[in-house]
Amino acid sequence: MEHAAAHTGGASIKAYMVVFGTLAVLTVIEVLIPLRFGFPKNVQVILLVFLALWKALLVALYYMHLRYEPQRLKWMVIAPLPLAVILVMAVLTEF
Amino acid sequence: MATTMTDAHAAHAQDHHEPSFLRKYVFSEDHKVIGIQFLFMSLFFLMIGGLLAAIMRWQLAYPTDPSRPLPGAGLFPETMVNAGIILPEFYNSAVTMHGTIMIFFAIMPLLVGVFANYLIPLQIGAPDMAFPKLNMMSFWTAFVAGLIIMAGFFVEGGHSAAGWTQYVPLSADPEWTGVYTGQQLWLIAMTVLGFSSLMGAVNYITTVINMRAPGMTWLRMPLPTWALFITAILILLAIPVLTGALIMLLFDQTIGTTFFTVATGGEPLLWQHMFWFFGHPEVYILILPAMGFVSEIISAGSRKPVFGYNAMVLAIVAIGFIGWIVWGHHMFQSGMNPTLGMSFMVTTMIIAVPSAIKTFNWLGTMWRGDLHFHTPMLHAVAFVAMFVIGGLSGVFVASTPVDIFLHDTYFVVAHIHYVLFGGSLFAIFGAITFWFPKMFGRMMNSSLGKIHFWLTLLFFNLTFFPMHNLGIAGMMRRIYDFTQYEFLTQFQGLQVFISWSAFLLVATQVIFAFNFIYSLFKGAEAPQNPWHANSLEWTAAPSPPPHGNFERTPTVYRGPYEYSHPDAADDYWPQNAPGHAAPASEPAYAE
Amino acid sequence: MTTQAAALDRGGMDATEVGMGVYNMKLGMWVFLLSEVMFFTSLIGGYIILRGAHPDMFAQPGVVLNVPLTAFNTFLLICSSVTMVLAFAGIERGDQAKLKMWLIATAVIGMAFLGVQVYEYIQLSGHGFVPTVEGYRAEGAPLYGTTFYTMTGFHGFHVLMGVLALWYLVIQAFRGKYTAGSHGAVEITGLYWHFVDLVWIILFTIVYLI
Repeated sequence: MEHAAAHTGGASIKAYMVVFGTLAVLTVIEVLIPLRFGFPKNVQVILLVFLALWKALLVALYYMHLRYEPQRLKWMVIAPLPLAVILVMAVLTEF
Repeated sequence: MATTMTDAHAAHAQDHHEPSFLRKYVFSEDHKVIGIQFLFMSLFFLMIGGLLAAIMRWQLAYPTDPSRPLPGAGLFPETMVNAGIILPEFYNSAVTMHGTIMIFFAIMPLLVGVFANYLIPLQIGAPDMAFPKLNMMSFWTAFVAGLIIMAGFFVEGGHSAAGWTQYVPLSADPEWTGVYTGQQLWLIAMTVLGFSSLMGAVNYITTVINMRAPGMTWLRMPLPTWALFITAILILLAIPVLTGALIMLLFDQTIGTTFFTVATGGEPLLWQHMFWFFGHPEVYILILPAMGFVSEIISAGSRKPVFGYNAMVLAIVAIGFIGWIVWGHHMFQSGMNPTLGMSFMVTTMIIAVPSAIKTFNWLGTMWRGDLHFHTPMLHAVAFVAMFVIGGLSGVFVASTPVDIFLHDTYFVVAHIHYVLFGGSLFAIFGAITFWFPKMFGRMMNSSLGKIHFWLTLLFFNLTFFPMHNLGIAGMMRRIYDFTQYEFLTQFQGLQVFISWSAFLLVATQVIFAFNFIYSLFKGAEAPQNPWHANSLEWTAAPSPPPHGNFERTPTVYRGPYEYSHPDAADDYWPQNAPGHAAPASEPAYAE
Repeated sequence: MTTQAAALDRGGMDATEVGMGVYNMKLGMWVFLLSEVMFFTSLIGGYIILRGAHPDMFAQPGVVLNVPLTAFNTFLLICSSVTMVLAFAGIERGDQAKLKMWLIATAVIGMAFLGVQVYEYIQLSGHGFVPTVEGYRAEGAPLYGTTFYTMTGFHGFHVLMGVLALWYLVIQAFRGKYTAGSHGAVEITGLYWHFVDLVWIILFTIVYLI
């Protein structure tokens, strides 16, 4: 396990807490967007998707330690994402 | 974890000394036993699927003809077969379940369940799968799915009758098919089977990535392992989409949600898209492993290296990727957006390229080879021929304008059977004969094998080739009684011909079954390497290999297809034989 | 036993091992999560597609769904993620007390999340927001309820599985199974738990806020 620990122990407690704070703040901003700010709908959608992806990325990189994993594991992890996008986008054009 | 480790060691050691019958043959964690368990289960389902086909063919030869009662009609309850006449409801069930059982419970487990389990660890030089317990669960989950799917035949209302593609609204509302419980059992069985495939896929992928023997670089892996690895990726990413769709359909039926019901806002086309987003990778799940086995057998049977090994690997990977963006070609007639249809047509034509690369490479492998036409080789060569026919008819239906005419006709039935029977099943027969000595330590009888091969090849073509003509003439797929259409009555004679060819095709399989069982007990003792092949399962392990596979972890020095190499003493050169290594195109351990 | 078989028993954690560079269990968990990505794609993607097809059948944010309550729930899940990494960081340094404490915290927060979700379901269905066609009285159309409950329900199911796994870890932790050198189970359960959190982040935005 020693070498595995060397891989995953990259993030410090401080980093964990910073990510936690960022996630919390981003969530507050997210909730305020539809409820308080009167942006046009499509601006809202773009902002919200951006924020959600930002949060998701933070969780994957720091909490799931992807940032400290070998490069090839990172490649493997993003492999199915294009498929997901293709499925949703192609079928959306249908309706 | 330190304590767990000791526990595991203790348990393991105990396993070695005193394996009870139950642990050794029933709840075994040995990948070889699990593969063989899958083999017996899927051969059973192959038989059921074949019998269902025979029932359909009887109806098509003698549609509702009281003077020609179905043989053995007495075995069926009156709700299925009445006075010797196959009832339409039962016919629909038979069509549905023939497709379902053959695809999901026979061919897919035969290719993946049997050979991925059996071959992957042996060919990469690993003692077992990465997660042996998960592997065991994978088989028993599949077994439960098999029980559920069989139960459907015995419930009131009969088994699902909505076709293996389960298009909504036909499948969503029992009003249309008259099937309620059977339909739900179908959905549940497929969900359970999905879990089994998922567990398998996680195992195969992890094993191939992490457990290769020293020196077994990516480009020294035998092609069956390559094909099964890419197949496992397809399973991993495609099955969950089907599971999602199945769950939605199940909810629509049981608790009254409205995913697919038009009246309350649902979208039937969503089902088709989700089904085929899974279903097209599924097509490659059903053919890629077969291509891998055929490459192996043809190379060994020609005593020549696989022509263009790297191109073969690349073609497998390319098929694996392009296979994701062609699903819409099943839906040209669904009223799909024409722009989308056009894109799908183009991608479908593109995927013919890697398939053609593989075909030419097989021919190139055989070209000027020292050909040995043993039974596996015969099946492999037949695979190439039949796959070309099936591939070419695929190009017809891939083109939107032609598909308008051919969609949902017997042309499609002919196409799928040329690929799935002529392709996958021939490869499976070849692979079973090829690896039988490794699995059971005995050879299959070669004369019986050849008789079985030639009769199967003959009756297969007599059965399915005329279906092209029927389809072009307008005969609909899944039709119960074609004589209700004036223009189809002229084909009555041809239908009888096809049906009797099909019956003989089914009967021929008895030879295989006999050969299989006979050789299991009475076959000639198999040497360790009867085909003089190079890969590790032949060169580093006895037949059958013991638990743990290899005495010592083998070291790999070269690729798996070094036949007739000038530097080798023999006409084959085992992967694990030390000696001067052929220059590797990549350093050892490179990922 | 061969060296490799021995490596297998240690979950493949062998320094000489070739491959991905991570041990088998962890690689297996990642591979499984990729499949989960596709599963949630089918559910969330199905929702996006259906909503794209029938925008009028879905209500605007905050009309039917209780956004502040769910925002609180989102916050709970984020908290549980941070407690999970703290548990992991604890055992990496061999700190058994921290491991136990943070694991229990994670499991309890996970259960709180489920509790809030059940409360939300009860409240919503009381207002006629149900998954079925029958009895649907809320704004929008039954399709809204159908997709909402299926998506959040399956996410909740994943949380439940995670909570069970966490309690199992707690029991094992109290039996002293994990050490600084060997705690693969904590790490892969963490991976699963964070993935479930990640899915919720996407789900929350798409279902509640857009």
